[in-house]
Amino acid sequence: MGDVVQLLTENGELREDEVYSRYVEELDDAALRDLYRHMALERRVDAEATSLQRQGQLALWAPALGQEAAQVGTIAALKPTDRVFPTYREHAMALYRGISPEELMATFRAARHTGWDPHTYHFNNYAVVLASQTLHAAGWAMGIVQDQRTGTLDPDQPADEIVLACLGDGASSQGDAHESMVFASSYQLPLLYFIQNNHWAISVPSSTQSPAPLVRRAYGYGFTGVQVDGNDVLASYAVARHCAEQIREGSGPQLIESITYRLGAHTTADDPTKYRSAEEVEVWRAKDPIARCRSWLQAEQKADETFFEETDAEADELAAELRRAVLEMEPIDLERVFDTVYAEPHRQVEVEKAWLKDYEAGFAEEEGR
Amino acid sequence: MSQTFTLPDVGEGLTEAEIVSWRVQVGDTVAVNDIVCEIETAKSLVELPIPFAGTVDELVAAEGDTVEVGQPLIRIRDAAGADDDAGDDAGGADGAARAAAEDESATRDSGAQDSEAQDAAAQDSAAPGAATQDPAAPGAATQGAAAQPAAETSERPAADSPIVEDSDQQALVGSGPKADAAKHRPRLRPTELDLVEVSDLDPPTPAAPAAGLQAGDIAEMVAKASPPVRALAKRLGVAVWDLVGSGRNGQITRADVERQAQQRSGQGKAGRSRAAGAAAPGPHGGLPSQTGLLYDGPREEKVQVRGVRKATALNVSASASTVPHVSVFKEIDVSRTMDLRRRLRDQPEYQDVSVSPLLFAAKAIIWAVRRHPQVNASWHETHYTLRNYVNLGIAAATPRGLVVPVIHEAHTYSTLGLAAAITELTSDAREGRTTPAEMQGGTISITNIGPLGLDLGTPILPPGQAAIVVLGAVRTKPWVVEGQVVPRQVMTVGGSFDHRLIDGDLAGAFISDVAAVLEEPGLLLD
Ligand SMILES: Cc1ncc(C[n+]2csc(CCOP(=O)(O)OP(=O)(O)O)c2C)c(N)n1
Ligand SMILES: [Mg+2]
Repeated sequence: MGDVVQLLTENGELREDEVYSRYVEELDDAALRDLYRHMALERRVDAEATSLQRQGQLALWAPALGQEAAQVGTIAALKPTDRVFPTYREHAMALYRGISPEELMATFRAARHTGWDPHTYHFNNYAVVLASQTLHAAGWAMGIVQDQRTGTLDPDQPADEIVLACLGDGASSQGDAHESMVFASSYQLPLLYFIQNNHWAISVPSSTQSPAPLVRRAYGYGFTGVQVDGNDVLASYAVARHCAEQIREGSGPQLIESITYRLGAHTTADDPTKYRSAEEVEVWRAKDPIARCRSWLQAEQKADETFFEETDAEADELAAELRRAVLEMEPIDLERVFDTVYAEPHRQVEVEKAWLKDYEAGFAEEEGR
Repeated sequence: MSQTFTLPDVGEGLTEAEIVSWRVQVGDTVAVNDIVCEIETAKSLVELPIPFAGTVDELVAAEGDTVEVGQPLIRIRDAAGADDDAGDDAGGADGAARAAAEDESATRDSGAQDSEAQDAAAQDSAAPGAATQDPAAPGAATQGAAAQPAAETSERPAADSPIVEDSDQQALVGSGPKADAAKHRPRLRPTELDLVEVSDLDPPTPAAPAAGLQAGDIAEMVAKASPPVRALAKRLGVAVWDLVGSGRNGQITRADVERQAQQRSGQGKAGRSRAAGAAAPGPHGGLPSQTGLLYDGPREEKVQVRGVRKATALNVSASASTVPHVSVFKEIDVSRTMDLRRRLRDQPEYQDVSVSPLLFAAKAIIWAVRRHPQVNASWHETHYTLRNYVNLGIAAATPRGLVVPVIHEAHTYSTLGLAAAITELTSDAREGRTTPAEMQGGTISITNIGPLGLDLGTPILPPGQAAIVVLGAVRTKPWVVEGQVVPRQVMTVGGSFDHRLIDGDLAGAFISDVAAVLEEPGLLLD
């Protein structure tokens, strides 16, 4: 188990680590700058989406503010073909995989069940039912193992695919998470659990989920886990690389507990001032992952001012694109909403569709008067 | 041209919000996403960023107003359009024409729509209303709370979106495309769940319905009325499930509930009588309250707390929750005091003042305080302050509520002077003339509950005081005097004390001294 892995200190100084430093050393300056860039882009998208929700253009938004390093570092450590099973907050991961702001926003505008094709990006749809995605991830990983065993792997599917199951500290208490980990362990699945311990599950502090560090759960299931400073993008990258490599080599499942903090509200429908103190937030604001990375890049002269200006400009463009896309988004087609729940016709769905149509007709009648 | 930002649903299914504060004023320049105001919803305090750039033209709602979702908040004058504002007033006709066009053309592309909006805005130059339009906004194609805010169509503006054009404010609100129409159309009927044959499906088992209430009704009601509106309905005794909502998507609004409550109380006045018999309780059987109320008025009424009531509430709750109170009582024979009172009343100089047991109690308190200074003190955690003077608070029930005016330096008064002071103070209090200064600075207080016909009470200490004496009614009672049961004039005297400073023995000694004076007023001659 050991301590929380940290490579970049809160003061922006690089630390040596026997196991993990080498992964960062492999990255050239362009790659390091790219980590920063992805974090900065997501933060700008996050702010624009929050504003759009406040302007009535999105039904809801779940900000990832403060968790950019945890997400970018981890996704950057995977291969683009590794399958990701996200929660509803993995925006930095989604954007990193190339999902467009428009695709990302569709569900938050209630315009689509989902905005992207999971197979295109090897990135599953957002899961709001807590920890349900951990079962899907285990199932997907079991599929990989079975295909490998029976030699029925799709020709275009890489032979060394691994699976990332994202979950929160709160979701870790779900029965689904337990079942998933049991199966992952029993079948020695190529599955990496990525818990973003952002200290809160809406208004419930993570200390309520478990008096012991969540990472220890892994040992109970019979696999290893590591705690990483989730506000340190370098450590997040290195730890995920390390775990991913071991899993690819057949270690079986592993778990990362990424210690981070949700600086924003749980969602736009939440008011965090009701359950946590301003002082607590200030403590974490001082550990801002993006500022930390930026000051290190500057101090090491790995990035110049032009780079930061260009990144800001790119972020503004992305935000403008996001706003435009949201305002112009095709509205939801209700037939399609019902018809795409199941592949085949389903009577329960038919009942609900009929109900909604009748409900709508309740308005139309008067319109004719 | 001006654009109106209307209140969006910033939570999930919220229907209204209160304006807490404006961050901008008329004339300010704003950029997209600048925070313009803070609102409070049923869930949270929220800052609203403005979706347009320009100059603030009007703050439509005031701080403290409760605004329904979809109602205008602020109008922004587009910097570019500011010059075209003068011109003929084509607003009404144009707005109506445009609404008609929108009704026919459900599938116009957004470009065409946009240019029409521009045209309209250019023609419709009645300041300050001309507007450009955002091509799309979440509408209300689905009426369930879960499905908001799905856009009706992206080609047409959904007028219940937060961004509405208001080139013609009146004409366009309520006459726009379907989503807008839905906002203002009441629901005509509930929608049943069993619309299709489900015989070979496992039927969804609804939660056990309340007596007389079908599961569908509950779902319908919950969908139709937001929690604040349901709370209001509960307060006013209105059955939400009987209402047809006039709000967005058939939502029941506060106004619907209030109207229903008013109508009902109107009916009650118009001839309902208790003799009509109690209606069967239950949501569909009419409300028993129509005949079963206690008095003419709403079933439950929310009364704002202000003034003396508010001050009293704050004071007593602060005192009761921070000061550990202890009370002691003593029943005493005050016949001699009552004799003395009669004799004083006969004195010419006492003609114009009230000579009550309160006067003697006041004298007795000052006398007893000399012997027990610690009751005339105030507690400050690390120390307490002994007061070598008496500012005597006298609790008075007035039409405005409880006030405790103070006779400052009461220990310096003669008996006649004190009688005059008490008389003046009580009449001032009754007539509401007591000034705030006259209520400050008390060191010890007295409350006379005798006139209420009461014998015992445990008053709450006024802030900053350690003792309050309570006087009961003087009654003629059998009393044992020298082995004989004789009728005597008897009362209970007692008080509440700050136990941090005053233990039971001190409280007892003090009350016993007050009692001693009231039993033997001759003690005052020392
Ligand atoms: C099964 C289930 N139960 C409850 C909820 C309601 N819910 C939504 S998010 C949330 C908190 C989740 O906290 P955490 O797992 O720490 O993730 P975070 O939101 O902090 O990213 C809850 C309880 C849900 N979506 N699904
Ligand atoms: Mg959490």
